[in-house]
Amino acid sequence: MIDHIGLLPVYLAAGTAVLVFLADLAVARTSVTLAVGVLGAVGTAASAVAVRVQPPHRAFCVESGCSWVYDRPAQLLAVAVAVLTAAVLLLSAPTLRLGQIPAGEYAFLLTASMTGGVALAGARDMITLIVALETLTLPLYVLVGLRRTSAESAQAAVTFLLTSVAATAVTLLGAALMYAASGEVHLSALASALDVSGPARPLAGAGLLLVVVGLAFKVAAVPAHAWAPTTYDGAPLPIAAYLSTASKLGGLFAIVYVAVLGGVAWWGVLGPALGILAAATLVVGTLVALRQRRMVRLLAWSSVAQAGFMLAPLSALAVARPSGLVGATLAYGLIYVTVEIAAFAGVIALRPPGEDGGTLTDYAGLGRSAPWRSGAFAFAAIGLAGLPPALAGLFAKVFVVRALVNAQAWVVVAAVALAAIAGLAVYLRAVVPLYRSDADVPGWILSPVSPAVVVVLAVATLLAIAAGFAPQLILDLTQ
Amino acid sequence: MSALLTALLVVPFAGAILAGVLRSERAGTYAATGAALVTFLLTLPLPIGRGEGMWHEADTAWVPGLGLRYHLGVDGISYPLIVLTALLTLLCCAYTIWHAPAGRPSGARLAALLLVIEVGLLGVFLSLDLVLFFIAFEVVLLPMYAVIAGWGGEARQRAARKFALYTLFGSVLLLIGVLGVGISAGTFDIVALTQNPSLARSTQIGFFIVLAIAFAVKAPLWPLHTWLPDAHTEAPTVGSVILAGVLLKMGTYGIIRVGLGVLPEGARAVAPALGILAVAAIIIGSLVCLAQKELKRLIAYSSVGHMGFVLLGVAAGAVSGGLAQSMGVQAALLGNIAHGVITGLLFFLAGAIKDRTHTGSLDDLGGLRETAPAMAGVLGFAALASLGLPGLAGFWGEAFAVVAAVQLGGGWIALAAIAAFGAALTAAYLLRLLRRVTHGPAASSVTGIAGVTAAERLAWSPLVLLALVLGLVPALVSGVAQ
Amino acid sequence: MPVELAYLLPIVPAACGLLGLLMPRSNRRIGAALGVTGASVALAVAVVLLATFQETVEKYFTWVRLGSIDVTFGVLIDRRALFVALAVGVVALAVQVYSIGYLAGDEHYGPYAAQVSIFTAAMLAVVVGNDLILVLAGWEVMGACSYLLIAHDRTLPEAPAAAVKAFLVTRVGDVGFLLGIALLGVAAGSFRISEIFVALPGMSGTTVTAAALLLLAGVAGKSAQFPLHTWLPDAMAGPTPISALIHAATMVAAGVYVVARLFPVFQAAPVALTVLGVMAAITLLLGALAATAQDDIKRVLAWSTVSQLGYMTGALAVGATTPAIFHLLTHAAFKALLFLAAGCVIHAVGTNLMSRMGGLRRTLPVTFWSMTIGLAALAGVPPLAGFWSKEAILLAAEHGTGGTAVLVYVAGLAGTFITAWYATRLWLKVFFGPGYNDHVHAPGSVMQAPVALLAVPSAGLGLGIYLADQEIVELDAVALLPVGLMLLGILAAWWGWRRSGDPAAVLGRMQPFLAAAFRLDDVQDALVVRPFTRLAALTRVADESGVDGVVTGVGTGTVALGGSLTRWHRSGVPRALAGVLVVAAASVVIFALNGLLR
Repeated sequence: MIDHIGLLPVYLAAGTAVLVFLADLAVARTSVTLAVGVLGAVGTAASAVAVRVQPPHRAFCVESGCSWVYDRPAQLLAVAVAVLTAAVLLLSAPTLRLGQIPAGEYAFLLTASMTGGVALAGARDMITLIVALETLTLPLYVLVGLRRTSAESAQAAVTFLLTSVAATAVTLLGAALMYAASGEVHLSALASALDVSGPARPLAGAGLLLVVVGLAFKVAAVPAHAWAPTTYDGAPLPIAAYLSTASKLGGLFAIVYVAVLGGVAWWGVLGPALGILAAATLVVGTLVALRQRRMVRLLAWSSVAQAGFMLAPLSALAVARPSGLVGATLAYGLIYVTVEIAAFAGVIALRPPGEDGGTLTDYAGLGRSAPWRSGAFAFAAIGLAGLPPALAGLFAKVFVVRALVNAQAWVVVAAVALAAIAGLAVYLRAVVPLYRSDADVPGWILSPVSPAVVVVLAVATLLAIAAGFAPQLILDLTQ
Repeated sequence: MSALLTALLVVPFAGAILAGVLRSERAGTYAATGAALVTFLLTLPLPIGRGEGMWHEADTAWVPGLGLRYHLGVDGISYPLIVLTALLTLLCCAYTIWHAPAGRPSGARLAALLLVIEVGLLGVFLSLDLVLFFIAFEVVLLPMYAVIAGWGGEARQRAARKFALYTLFGSVLLLIGVLGVGISAGTFDIVALTQNPSLARSTQIGFFIVLAIAFAVKAPLWPLHTWLPDAHTEAPTVGSVILAGVLLKMGTYGIIRVGLGVLPEGARAVAPALGILAVAAIIIGSLVCLAQKELKRLIAYSSVGHMGFVLLGVAAGAVSGGLAQSMGVQAALLGNIAHGVITGLLFFLAGAIKDRTHTGSLDDLGGLRETAPAMAGVLGFAALASLGLPGLAGFWGEAFAVVAAVQLGGGWIALAAIAAFGAALTAAYLLRLLRRVTHGPAASSVTGIAGVTAAERLAWSPLVLLALVLGLVPALVSGVAQ
Repeated sequence: MPVELAYLLPIVPAACGLLGLLMPRSNRRIGAALGVTGASVALAVAVVLLATFQETVEKYFTWVRLGSIDVTFGVLIDRRALFVALAVGVVALAVQVYSIGYLAGDEHYGPYAAQVSIFTAAMLAVVVGNDLILVLAGWEVMGACSYLLIAHDRTLPEAPAAAVKAFLVTRVGDVGFLLGIALLGVAAGSFRISEIFVALPGMSGTTVTAAALLLLAGVAGKSAQFPLHTWLPDAMAGPTPISALIHAATMVAAGVYVVARLFPVFQAAPVALTVLGVMAAITLLLGALAATAQDDIKRVLAWSTVSQLGYMTGALAVGATTPAIFHLLTHAAFKALLFLAAGCVIHAVGTNLMSRMGGLRRTLPVTFWSMTIGLAALAGVPPLAGFWSKEAILLAAEHGTGGTAVLVYVAGLAGTFITAWYATRLWLKVFFGPGYNDHVHAPGSVMQAPVALLAVPSAGLGLGIYLADQEIVELDAVALLPVGLMLLGILAAWWGWRRSGDPAAVLGRMQPFLAAAFRLDDVQDALVVRPFTRLAALTRVADESGVDGVVTGVGTGTVALGGSLTRWHRSGVPRALAGVLVVAAASVVIFALNGLLR
């Protein structure tokens, strides 16, 4: 028998998508469509909070395990995705007002993607997990390409599509190998079943590794990272924000589920493998970001590096208590999405409606004429760099380094340290132009910002500040 | 009293926010100065009711998940630095009221940043929790970057970036070190760790090296010093004053409080290397000063030499043990404070001279005592104090760093001898400086320059007085430490 | 009479000095008042104490406790200390009064007078200080004050260089002084002189010898002993009263006095005494010979100081501390007199060069007579002051045993001849012969009075002390030998003057070489100054392009690496696909092999 209470968030998410669709058909007014979408997303989040997680709701259970378990991590991801979707919808308001992009499709696709994210939250078998993940990703192919006028947009969509397809193929192949080796799909069962011996063993290991590599695409980690900059820069800014927050978080949870819940028998292999991935991601992302001249590309590359920070703790899976490592990873992820959404909100607030991120020089001198917006953006960027006064970012780094030092994974620690230092240089590149005193400021900056954007910027910033003073809350969420 | 400790952090922070948001320039600077004044006054009652060990403490859990506690405390080692920080910040804020840098972002913002820096500095000197210490250490970084990059000289961007990245390198090592120590010892409480250092010797050595490098970057200890000259040359006057006056002290204080306190065995093992590097810093710093052609660069490099003396004292104290009871550490504390006062004064003077003559090149200066005798007089006083003239603040730290090294005997006597010779070199370059700047016929750049203004007199006289009083009554510093 | 009174000796002049520095420089009256007050109070206190205390007394309190060692602040007074303090007081007062006239119309008089007060205070701290750290403090403050005062004259281009030289050379010596003090203090567990004497027997021989030798470095610096004597003649760039102060009672006296005060330490280190003796002999002859060839009247006196200091250190080397201090006192009297008188002469004729002087005995009678007394005392004409003290030293050396004593004795005898010779030369060239100087403006009474007053001790001090204490010199036949040599010197100089108008003519081609004091300045320049400036330049380059080069290199290297990685990522799609597929394939292969190898 199916426990529908536990599935409530998924129903609401899907319902939101349908509602948005109908609202667009019926009213066909941007504001209404957006309002419905936002309300639906908020409702989804509310329900996700409301539903009890102790003991967790289970559904679709067979003797080898359940396909749907709504526990604490699931709740975390569901709420995060829903809230982020609401934020992105609000951020999209100025863009959609211009009318070049059909608001209806846009909002529908976004909410559909949200549905995938919420479904992913509770997925506990390989099939559900991959399907949910694809539901999260597929709508984005379209959304990325929605800026019909621009060629970059098309290129972005193509890059995204091709890489995604390849990654999915790899993931599926891996899942198939795992099934072939163990005959199981449920993560709880795989935990023991993957510990096979004989000729099937390499299949199991290869499968697991392929799944992880394929999932690395979602978090834009090396080796499947190269799509991110092109795609982010070509996509509409809100979609770039969604890709770098909700989508990335979904991928992170997927990796955690597979590696920690399913891959117990292979931690000895997965740990080092993830360590190598993380280190490579940190170094490549940071160093390339050093040379970017366009704002969104810089953020994209830096978000690659951020993925490295998130994955780093998992490299100690074999040697340390996994709960601590996962806690550090998830805590970092949460703080990251908060400041990242704030950063993108800042970019949107500092750019004319509908424009792309532009080059770094486009931001020269804005600090004086738009002090609050610039301040918020600078605060977010500093948070990404992980330094005071943005304490939240600092604590995020502390969580990761603490987990690694605790596991004595000195090599990864070194990579983290290097990325942290060079990272400051990256984010300074983004912030310093704002405060150049010798720049002439464009007139449009004085025109009022869409209140929707202001709300997102303000809320995200306040959340970041709060997290900085009470990081224990984050830790409690991720235990 | 424990509320007082928190107030020491809250007041300047509130002042910074106020000064940042106030629209009017004047109101902003006044608000900042007011906050700095209150903070300074708040530091004065701290010695009331002091006893052995920590005088006052404040301790509440902050992030249990990290084992991070909001644990503040003040004792004889930190108190002089706390007062010095509050005093210098006050003087610098007051200075910005009259000397708002022309053609730059507002002086109110500058004062606000100075207050944020003060929060970080006081946090470092107050915190008794390793992670809290690290966080406070980090707080200082970006505001100082902004001060240099926003109000600095020609090549300010580059200098500021170098400062930020280089010192961040130190901070990252510090993070790794404190986490390592805390995790392997099971607590981040500095007091507990100091009272019973539980770690194994080998562990201590490993972590001490990491922490020593981290602090050596900040101090700075040769050869990790090269961010300092650039930063000083480009920084605005108040920036240089804070930087040399107290910011460098975070390094020396950290190596005493955390290095010697928490890892005594490691410190003792590494001390010889530390001593050799310190002496190298003294000699090399002095020699570079002898060949230096730019006023602020010269003073900056002199800091390298003086910090060398301080670290020699620290190394000696590490060998003899006994933390604040050892002659070496006391010499280091004395040298720390003296350097803060004297170099602060020197940078005020250098700034005043550069503002008037628009050049820092020793070749273009000269004959200052003909056109601005008062300024030349104060410069001479500061130079004499800086070369360690007895009766002025600089003497005790340097002379007794040497004595402490002699006390250890053996190879340390050789180090002491070289260090003492370095003192002669110090005199050589400071006299060269005076001869180039104050003596001789008046150069074209110094002719017709304005005399000492009221603001300058206000900012300088406390430092002049302090340099003399600390020279005559060194017990003011070393007495409270015992 | 409480012994705490002795605290006033250093403290009052110091306070006057500090106050004076704060006063508006325009106000001469306050400056003069403060200066004179400081000196006269010190003098009065010294007199009172001399009248009160016969025995040795110490009084102190803890200044600061550092580690296990207490640094104390206090006084340790005995007869010797009080006599020297008296001399300091007298000379300081004379200099202060004299300066009022000499620096009339100098708008920087205020700070000058204050610095003189601090100078006096520092010297008094060295004289009565009970703790070596306190002594060190006075010792170095003196160096600083000499620097400030020598650089006082703005019109002289060489003044700043001379000032820097004076400070630096002595400071180099002080390196040794500090280390010596540190060794003694650490070994004794205290810096108090009395404690150190108590602990002395327990110290290892090497420690004591090392400490003594290191202290000698400081002594050589302050008391202008070879090879650290080079600063003293250049110090003439300072105003004449400052020369008087430096040469008579402060600065140069300090070294000699400290050796006498710490004599037990040196007694325990015979090596150090031998070194001191050799140093003394060289200094004595070097100074005397250099004095013969000078044309600048002040330089003659300066080199004569160097030579006379040789006598004092020589006495110390043979263990004759009392004669050394005796000579210190007489020399203080007549050298102060000579400088102040020379100041009157220079003030009158407006030049330092003796070749531009002559026949001044009629125009400057007071100066003439007092200077005659001073020169006679310097030459050692009985019964003037110099005669007694020099006799005492030579007798001590003669009775002394060992090579050192012989060396000092021979050098001393030779010295008497040369001293008499150059003293006479100066006397004749300045006061006799044709008068170059038609319009001579005679010095005022403020300048005349101190000169005349100083003539009294210059003449009578020696005899007085001899009458007070017969043992100090026992006159016998041998005592006539120096007197004879002295007369020879006078005659030789007179004969040379009659022959050519300048006795120095006999030196011939040696004259420039002697005038340059054996070119030791050039040696110093070549061996110390230039190498260090070159080393400094080298270090700077190494530090800025070497050490910093690494740092900037790391930075640029990182950025460059980023650049190449960026180029590698230029075309997004293929790389991205390649990345994913390659890793996928690789992992499959690895595991396949891994499986097959099972």
